[in-house]
Amino acid sequence: MKKTIVVLLLFGFAICAFKEIRGIYFRYPSYWPKPIYNFNKNQLTTEKTFLGRVLFYDPILSKDSNISCASCHSQHTAFSQINHSYSKGINHQIGKRNAPALINLAWNSSFMWDGAVNNLEMQALAPMSNPTEMNETIGHVADKMKHTTIYPKLFYKAFGDSAINGERVLKCITQFMLSLVSCHSKYDSVMEKQAKFTQQEERGYLLFKKNCSSCHKEPLFTNDKFENDGLPINKTLNDVGRMLITHDSANYLQFRVPTLRNIQISYPYMHDGRFSNLVQVLNHYTKGIVRSNSLAKPLLKPILLTNNDKKNLIAFLSTLSDTTFITEKQYSFPVFVN
Amino acid sequence: MMRIVKMIFLIMLLWLIGSETVMAQKVLEFHPSYGKDLVYLADSSYQSNDEDSITITQFRFYISDIELWNDKNKTWEEHNFHLINANEYQTLRISLAIPDDIVYDKIKFKLGIDSLTNVSGAMGGDLDPMKGMYWTWQSGYINVKLEGNSPLCKTRNNAFEFHLGGYHTPFNCLKTVTLPIIKSDNIKLYIDLKKALSSINLKMTNQIMTPSKLAVDISEKIAKAFETRL
Ligand code: HEC
Ligand code: HEC
Repeated sequence: MKKTIVVLLLFGFAICAFKEIRGIYFRYPSYWPKPIYNFNKNQLTTEKTFLGRVLFYDPILSKDSNISCASCHSQHTAFSQINHSYSKGINHQIGKRNAPALINLAWNSSFMWDGAVNNLEMQALAPMSNPTEMNETIGHVADKMKHTTIYPKLFYKAFGDSAINGERVLKCITQFMLSLVSCHSKYDSVMEKQAKFTQQEERGYLLFKKNCSSCHKEPLFTNDKFENDGLPINKTLNDVGRMLITHDSANYLQFRVPTLRNIQISYPYMHDGRFSNLVQVLNHYTKGIVRSNSLAKPLLKPILLTNNDKKNLIAFLSTLSDTTFITEKQYSFPVFVN
Repeated sequence: MMRIVKMIFLIMLLWLIGSETVMAQKVLEFHPSYGKDLVYLADSSYQSNDEDSITITQFRFYISDIELWNDKNKTWEEHNFHLINANEYQTLRISLAIPDDIVYDKIKFKLGIDSLTNVSGAMGGDLDPMKGMYWTWQSGYINVKLEGNSPLCKTRNNAFEFHLGGYHTPFNCLKTVTLPIIKSDNIKLYIDLKKALSSINLKMTNQIMTPSKLAVDISEKIAKAFETRL
């Protein structure tokens, strides 16, 4: 009796071990830290990632079938906002927020500028249900999908049966978002010793390490924390950031440190899109810091940059642009034969 | 092919386990009530016929981590999540695999969803966000939804709406309910909404849609409304 159990268990483990093999859509350089996302409960497969990609580009997720995730997160701009007038922010943040680039999300521990979303799998619910955005419920979306010809087939391919439910929809969209790894910039080639910075980029890199990398930490260019980087509060929007979630005044005006990968193409900048170019951003860090109790420590001492320094810094920041990422076919509008 | 092999493996394993313990299905019933009245909402809303003139249109809540205790010892437990919905009769009865020889004099359970589950991403069954018990603009389960009308509420249609949840301190709304019970194949629990609502100042407090101090207080009041009627 005991023997049979052992044999059966071993057999079971062997089957599980096969499932460990990850889809080809998640690769990252060996010198990067391990992702934070827990892949065990949502193992990547080609079929699920593809289904997620179809969902990401399908306006079926919105009430009037006009808006898809890609309407606000466009590949050409590293999945950030292409048309500012579209994004009315998320629910309680109507009109306030700028859609961030979707890059290397597997390394984030929370999402949204204020961390309102605690797991990537739950992210899609926010825009889907927002009356000013897609104005849908996940239950109704699942119903609509059941009545299409394509989705039952895609779910069958991905899950082995054609049932459509909230969990499956969310996990597939997540798989696609996880696949959005940007790691083919010039910076990456330099780190892997396959390219060299120009003299100007090298100088910019040194300035960056001195002034910026405590928050925009390499190699992901974010420390995954909330910080107050001294932006003056916009009086009409009155967006207090992280404090909205924690109700703790220590979090006043703190926002999630965004990645700077692909920063040159993902303008406008900051949670409210207040800056339209990088010179304005640097001017903020040198001249615009507003002091308050929650101002981040590294910014207590003024950042001094000459005009030349600024040029050098921007030259370095442009090495974070990844053309492979914004042209990758696996990320683009899915064309498929039914 | 792999699926069939896995099925066979599962069936054999289940059969092995099944052959060794005697499983007995016991029923735990929830009866939402208003004083003595039962509040079932499947066909229509509930209208109280006392001076409160309360209408209840929606009442649903999560129950998790059910345990049985005998004096100071835990004698049985399960770790499932159950969505109980006064609009859907079938959810008011849950079957529990309690072996016949288990003794107990108390039942203990959580009203709501624990913080670990709250940060664990998308889940299925009763936890599927399709069930409408998940906040969308800020991650987190809604532990309890109670909606209705009262003349005391100076809101549109005199409506009150309590969506109670939140898993972060200091606004953690998860409550533990402990009740004395007598061993039975059919355990009945009542939730007296009259008791809960009359302890809330509906004039002042009638809309709760986010984690907050008030949400914690009202969760406590709902937890206190659970009772057994012997
Ligand atoms: C109408 C525009 C709009 C649509 C449609 C939209 N988003 Fe967004 N998205 C935003 C905005 C604005 C934010 C930032 C909101 C905030 O921080 O409060 C955001 C944030 C995000 C984030 C968080 C990124 C981070 O780094 O924190 C993810 C992930 C995301 N969206 C994915 C999606 C998915 C998936 C869909 C489709 C289901 C979608 N978005 C649809 C505007 C949109
Ligand atoms: C104390 C932490 C901190 C330091 C140091 C810091 N930043 Fe930031 N940075 C942030 C935060 C937080 C934001 C988001 C602020 C917001 O939107 O309200 C941000 C936003 C940005 C943005 C806009 C990103 C986007 O997607 O909109 C750029 C560009 C940027 N920082 C560049 C820099 C540069 C260059 C330096 C060094 C000169 C620097 N930062 C130093 C915390 C920091």
